[in-house]
Amino acid sequence: MHIRSLIISIGLAALAAAPAAAQVSRVTLVRQSDIIFAGTVTRVGAVAAPDLPASARTVVVRVNQVFEKPDAVSLMKGDSVTVQVARTGSLSAGMQATFYTTGWIFGRGVAVREVGHEPIRAQLAAVATPPVQQDSVAKARRQVNDANLKARLQAATIVVVGRVEQVRPAAYTGAAAPPRRFTEHDPDWQEAVIHVDDAIKGAQPGQTVVVRFPGSRDVAYVGTPKFTAGQEGTFVLQRDTATGSPLTMMGGQSVQAYTALHRLDVLTKQDAQRVRAVMRQP
Amino acid sequence: MRATTILVAVAILLAPSCETDKGTPPPPTNPPPGSVRVVDIIPVSLSGETWQDAEPFLSVYTSNPHNLAASAFTPNPGGSSSTTAPIFVSDDDGNTWSLRNSVLSNVMTADITHAAGAPNELYAAIMSVPGVPLRELETNDIFAFAPMTQNATRSGIDQPFIRAVRSANTDRLYVGINDFNAPNGRTATVDVSLNGGTTFASRRIEPRNTLGQNAPSIRPAVAQDHTVYVAYFGWRSASGTTITSDIVVVRDDNGATGTTPFRDLVDPSDNQPGRLVATNRTIIWSNAPTLAQERIGSTLSIAVDELHSENVYIAWADRVGSGDIQTVHLRRSTNRGATWSTDLRTLTNTTAPSLAVSTNGTVGLLYHQLTGSGNSSRWVTRLEQSRDGFATHRDVVLATVPSATPAFQFLPYLGDYNMLLTRGNEFLGIFSANNTPDPANFPSGVVYQRRVNQATHQLLDGSGSPVAVSIDPFFFSVRVMP
Repeated sequence: MHIRSLIISIGLAALAAAPAAAQVSRVTLVRQSDIIFAGTVTRVGAVAAPDLPASARTVVVRVNQVFEKPDAVSLMKGDSVTVQVARTGSLSAGMQATFYTTGWIFGRGVAVREVGHEPIRAQLAAVATPPVQQDSVAKARRQVNDANLKARLQAATIVVVGRVEQVRPAAYTGAAAPPRRFTEHDPDWQEAVIHVDDAIKGAQPGQTVVVRFPGSRDVAYVGTPKFTAGQEGTFVLQRDTATGSPLTMMGGQSVQAYTALHRLDVLTKQDAQRVRAVMRQP
Repeated sequence: MRATTILVAVAILLAPSCETDKGTPPPPTNPPPGSVRVVDIIPVSLSGETWQDAEPFLSVYTSNPHNLAASAFTPNPGGSSSTTAPIFVSDDDGNTWSLRNSVLSNVMTADITHAAGAPNELYAAIMSVPGVPLRELETNDIFAFAPMTQNATRSGIDQPFIRAVRSANTDRLYVGINDFNAPNGRTATVDVSLNGGTTFASRRIEPRNTLGQNAPSIRPAVAQDHTVYVAYFGWRSASGTTITSDIVVVRDDNGATGTTPFRDLVDPSDNQPGRLVATNRTIIWSNAPTLAQERIGSTLSIAVDELHSENVYIAWADRVGSGDIQTVHLRRSTNRGATWSTDLRTLTNTTAPSLAVSTNGTVGLLYHQLTGSGNSSRWVTRLEQSRDGFATHRDVVLATVPSATPAFQFLPYLGDYNMLLTRGNEFLGIFSANNTPDPANFPSGVVYQRRVNQATHQLLDGSGSPVAVSIDPFFFSVRVMP
């Protein structure tokens, strides 16, 4: 019993005290992955479903724990996954690891491409794999998310907390408005007039800013943030370079128009605290 | 006993290096031999998906007719940071499908059509995300895992629609495009490649004045004798979003190999290229839910009898004004487009017609028709066949599903187009529909790859938990009437 506890302690300590380089590596792996799981290699040079091509680069991995996957993908503990390894010969039967992967083929089974893997020592796997590894992956994902947000914040012209007072059709001034065309993919540019309650970057409280967004419900804009009157949030804004006519009218004045076209550009009001914290990060 | 042991041992030795367990369910049961097959092409490994997989398209290989490629507005399952979009492939006549991500567009496309070449080429014309530029793509193996290669790209276009035909030792490609770069608002264009996509020439096909542009739908159809027809809407004027349009067909008798192609069919009214099949039709342009949850505005299909190029069919939608939202008309020419019939079919509140002509001359017409009203209305997807100019026709209902569910995620709801092809004695096609696994919704039968419980009418994810109803693409084959 004492020996078992000692092994656990040593193992957890080893993970907790992983060198910085290893942690950076895990963040890199997570950044490039969309399916992450712990598993055991059961066969080498094999595939888990007959509609996949076996090769020297494919191995079959029995899933022990799924850490991350898209909702659409059917993958759970006990499933066998075909993994196309990043480096032939790097995995052998019986080996346990956390696999960082991207989706490859989705048919009767799931096949993934390995971005990388982190071996799990057998003693540690027996007692502590899921929670420890899951926490490590989750921590790395938070770091990736923060880095992505920080990149958006650094690129932003202004970052504000505010409330949408009005949504109106885009009012172009200065340069010519983009030509109006009959096309299903017409963005149908709209403007959200936002009252700034709190300025995080490049603006003043009390200011009003105008944010352009595609009002179209066309498939081309399905992931693009939309605005509605009364909406509150934290808004990460760029100068408008999308419409070809960057100025708009506000109170009889010609003013800069902004855009928020990325899903990370429109956050909740409560996210303001996280935004400030991320901006302070080195 | 010893013989049994030997047989078992041999079987083990010969078995493919493949593992079956509870994570790999058995393949779907193929439908019994019969005249109709309908297959939901979402694979079992994506049983949790709830996306609106609209605007499907289908390609079949003449070099190996067991091989098929299909697409829809399906996102890369990898998520929002993906730099490729999916394509579905089947190597067993469409009974089973898998998804791989090889199309050059972030997550999914904003338009995609494709056509098979020889021997194993697949050509795709897409509007890629972001920015929706045209990309003309190619792969020499749809079962490969590498991204498709890009042959050409440009911006300012709409709704590319590609067809391919073999000529000598190369593929000729015809891509109908509404090209806003065209001068004088005559935007109807065909990008022609006579060398398998190595180079393209943009051929302007609208000789008449427009309201400033043509409609998005520019549809080529190619016969084996290299007669190329192209149908388009000649938009002449607009009052708001109510458009007055001609329906026009141009023709080229030599595969569009000349420098001024598509001028072999002249209208007697003005001696201009492009026969006016119908004039002064009312088109309602509505990029919002209008026909139930579907948008309307540019619905067009053309098909030629590949072996008898004098026979050509056209279907389009306009508003008749009899209380319809929009009405599909089907007409035929038996003299290379010189004259056209009156309506052979007139289908109220119908969209996405797709035409194909089989080798025995039977014409197929696939469409979605909205029936009933209000929340009880349904989308009925039907294939009609006729060999006598629709004096008589044989119909198959492929799906009849509620039109109000699921709620739309984006437009188009089902698609601005479907696809219908022929192969031997079959019509092959694809459509999108509400995927509720209720046998009553699919009167001709249906096979699901994804996990379902047809008894409880529930979709299930990998763990057996219920999944919300969504729009899925359905492949089908229907035997050509003799």
